[in-house]
Amino acid sequence: MSFILSSLIIIPLIGAIIALAMGGSRENYSKFVAIGFSAVTLVIALLILLGIFGDFESLDESFEWIHNSTFIMNYALTIDGLSVLMVFLTALLVLLVNIFSMDEHRENNNYFYALIMAMEVGLMGVYLACDYFLFYIMWEITLIPMYFMISWYGGPRRHYSAIKFFIYTHVASLVMLIGFFVLGYESVAEGPVNFSFDAIKEGIVAAGLEIQSLIFVMLFFGFMVKMPAVPFHTWLPDAHTEAPTEGSVLLAGVMLKMGSYGIIRICIEALPDAAHYWQWVIIAIAILSIIYGAYGCIAQTDLKKMVAFSSISHMGMVMLGIGCLSEAGITFAVFQMFAHGLITAMLFMVCGMTGHKVGTREIPLLGGLAGRMPIYATFMMIAFMASLGLPGLVGFWGEFPVIFAFYEFILANNVIWMLLFCMLSLMLTAGYYLWAMQRTLFGPETTKIDLSTAHDVGHFEFAVLLVLSILVAFFGVWPDAALQFLEPYASALVGVI
Amino acid sequence: MVAEIITSIFGSYTPLAVLIVLILGALIMPGIQMFGKRHLATWAVALVLVLIAMAIDICLLVDSYIGTALNIVIWDPYTSLMSLLFLVVLFLVVLVSHSSTETTKSHSGAYYALLFAAATGMVFVTTQTDLLTIFVGVELTSISSYALVALKRRDGRAAEAAVKYAIIGGMSTALTLYGISMVYGMAGSTQIGAIADYIRMTTEFSWAFGVGIIAMIAGYGFKIAAVPFHMWAPDVYEGAATPVSMFLATGSKKMGLAVFMQVFLMMFVYADVFGQMYGEVSQYTFAIIAAVTMTVGNVVAIAQGNIKRMLAYSSIAQAGYILIMMAVMTPEAASAGLFHMFTHVFMKGGAFLIVGALICAGIGEKITDYKGLAKRAPFLAAAMMIFLFSLAGIPPLAGFTSKFFLFASAVGVPGASSGEFVWLAFIAILNSAISLYYYARVVKAMYIEKGTSTEKIKIPKAFLIAIVICLVFVVLLGVYPDLIYNYCELAIGI
Repeated sequence: MSFILSSLIIIPLIGAIIALAMGGSRENYSKFVAIGFSAVTLVIALLILLGIFGDFESLDESFEWIHNSTFIMNYALTIDGLSVLMVFLTALLVLLVNIFSMDEHRENNNYFYALIMAMEVGLMGVYLACDYFLFYIMWEITLIPMYFMISWYGGPRRHYSAIKFFIYTHVASLVMLIGFFVLGYESVAEGPVNFSFDAIKEGIVAAGLEIQSLIFVMLFFGFMVKMPAVPFHTWLPDAHTEAPTEGSVLLAGVMLKMGSYGIIRICIEALPDAAHYWQWVIIAIAILSIIYGAYGCIAQTDLKKMVAFSSISHMGMVMLGIGCLSEAGITFAVFQMFAHGLITAMLFMVCGMTGHKVGTREIPLLGGLAGRMPIYATFMMIAFMASLGLPGLVGFWGEFPVIFAFYEFILANNVIWMLLFCMLSLMLTAGYYLWAMQRTLFGPETTKIDLSTAHDVGHFEFAVLLVLSILVAFFGVWPDAALQFLEPYASALVGVI
Repeated sequence: MVAEIITSIFGSYTPLAVLIVLILGALIMPGIQMFGKRHLATWAVALVLVLIAMAIDICLLVDSYIGTALNIVIWDPYTSLMSLLFLVVLFLVVLVSHSSTETTKSHSGAYYALLFAAATGMVFVTTQTDLLTIFVGVELTSISSYALVALKRRDGRAAEAAVKYAIIGGMSTALTLYGISMVYGMAGSTQIGAIADYIRMTTEFSWAFGVGIIAMIAGYGFKIAAVPFHMWAPDVYEGAATPVSMFLATGSKKMGLAVFMQVFLMMFVYADVFGQMYGEVSQYTFAIIAAVTMTVGNVVAIAQGNIKRMLAYSSIAQAGYILIMMAVMTPEAASAGLFHMFTHVFMKGGAFLIVGALICAGIGEKITDYKGLAKRAPFLAAAMMIFLFSLAGIPPLAGFTSKFFLFASAVGVPGASSGEFVWLAFIAILNSAISLYYYARVVKAMYIEKGTSTEKIKIPKAFLIAIVICLVFVVLLGVYPDLIYNYCELAIGI
């Protein structure tokens, strides 16, 4: 048995501990520790992705961890087509975020980097775990660093936003935890409950549809709040507005995906019958999120808040793909998760830079920034275009095939008018992005704020944004690079549901 | 077969072995101090005796020794396990007592004697199955505790706390006795087994018996500071010397919970009354007490500015969590409750020890006094953070694992999830979320806020050792709960 998957968790953990210990005069060097450890993690993730270590199945790890007469819990990690992309995305974004924040001078720098690395530990754990106990532990571990990240390093209303974020998502995960308990108890007739994914999947079949759909609701609620889906989205704009740029990137880029990942990995895989039972509810929530998120974007004056609402809309698109419960739907839903991770990282970096360099993120106060900050404007345009789904960029392959899969679904169910919702969302998305771009970048230079101190992107920020732009274009012209992992997974999944 | 070593020494008195060592300690301590005020010698002898008692206890525990002596002292795995808990608490308290500036030096003989007497009472309680002998054990502990609180002389707060503690304790004693007499009047016995038989046989509801049980719950509810009988706890914990507060919060309270378990849980489980009148009523009574206790404890803790008071309210809340086992009344819940008592000793004990150590170093008890602590004492700050996170139930620490077992037991048992107490599990987890709020405030003060001084803090070695022991177990029991949990299951008999 190899320990390659464990190393993805342990290396960031060591990084976090070292960074935490570097207090006092050494605290400014903690960023190099963070960059070093996250770079090693990324290399390992990349090697796994490229198949250097052999088949994914050969990497599985499983140890019995806790064994008593009530529970059996395992330290079990696995990787497959679904998780490999998320692992890669996590490793990539954490490294890029670390580099992005190189120039920033903040107090207690070492805690900041320790928090980022601790978050990576939890995220990797969530995407690799194949035991409910381990999954829940890792799920909670992501929450704590993010809470402190917002509460310690955030904007003026940070305490309110941090506690709102925490309580909202924690209450959701408590519902999920109780769902896990019920799931475990119902999956065995007697004796200890084995919490491994496989054991539960086999055992829960015996439970009736009624209890399965009840469990589905509890778990789905937990994941849905994390995604977030309307009407449980209100923590997200607040958290994003107050979080530091680095926090926002990780929050939107990889933490929201935990929700959709959980829906696929647990709700759909373990409870397929219940998923069919609730299919229309999933689709209704998805459409509501798409439309409401897009409408919300138009109303925002804060650039970052607008991007936050666009995340709600795009994660709704992910849920729509999942809700189709078809091969194409799930494949492209996951691809949309990946694409959104890349794009949203760019978006939040650009928005964060706006606040940082110009002094405000209020769209009405901005204007004509392209003339003074051309490189910044270029990246902003790339990010916006990718997000609204311009063909040739990665966003296109996330959105349109999902709509295609949905089209198949509504055709089969004879509700063709529902396509109108998709059209509406596309129009709105294009609309708010173009409108925001026009108001901030173009036109006459604003006179409402003092632009004399505004300066263009720094070296590190440039490098990070360049890497992201290249990836956005790369996966835009060659989506197969990612899809080759997803298609086998999705077809195997759809085969059993 | 390590238990044989013990039996070869103590013979048929093996069930009394731990008690003998503790009583011996209580008796000789004042004498040792008499020989020319040798505080160090008193401390050393006390420490050695505790370690001997612990060694005996662990030997009996690992071989699951069962025995009876003098027809009234019954030693079984449950007793071994609970005694281990009390002895660990005693060990930690004795270890730091010599170095603490709060514990009075001039009466060290009396101080250790009282600690040993209190511990004797605790261990004695767990060996009993009769209401009256349990009552005697509880009283031995309580009366020693009143004196322990009062021992911090020339301190107005301690005097106030001791008086309050004694008065409220006396009241609860009266209530308990009143309840016992009512129950005896109806059931005709003070043996728990006989009372269980009475419950099983009886067909109509008797007010006298119900009132008796309620009076007993109230009386013992004072001991565990269950809401609404919790008012004394914050004042007493704040007023007493910190090692004593720790002893009360982690030791005495566990004795109260042990009494709950032995008296009520055993009574109703023996009587097998689930779904019948007394069973149902008592389950819901305990469920409500548990829910209210944890909620009040956590909500009021938010408002506290004094860290000892905050820890006092948080331990009220923790007692609420443990009371879940009384409501659910399954073997799984009982062993999870036992396990949570154990983890609570290390996490709450560790937090109190840090407070005590910092008081020795001249840092105040206010949360604002902890500003900038991470720069002044990096290890202490990190340890405090871990203890508080463990109390809040953050994985992968001991508090998370034990809460996981406990809350899981409220949802059901393998093979059948029951909806009956899911609401209790919801409230409990919600409370864990609330509790993180006030724990995080301390962490923020230590790590983010700037202090007035940057001078390094030095604490006594004994405190450091005790804190490291707690830290090791908080992490160890988090990642490897089977170490203790298997014994909890053994003690409950599953």
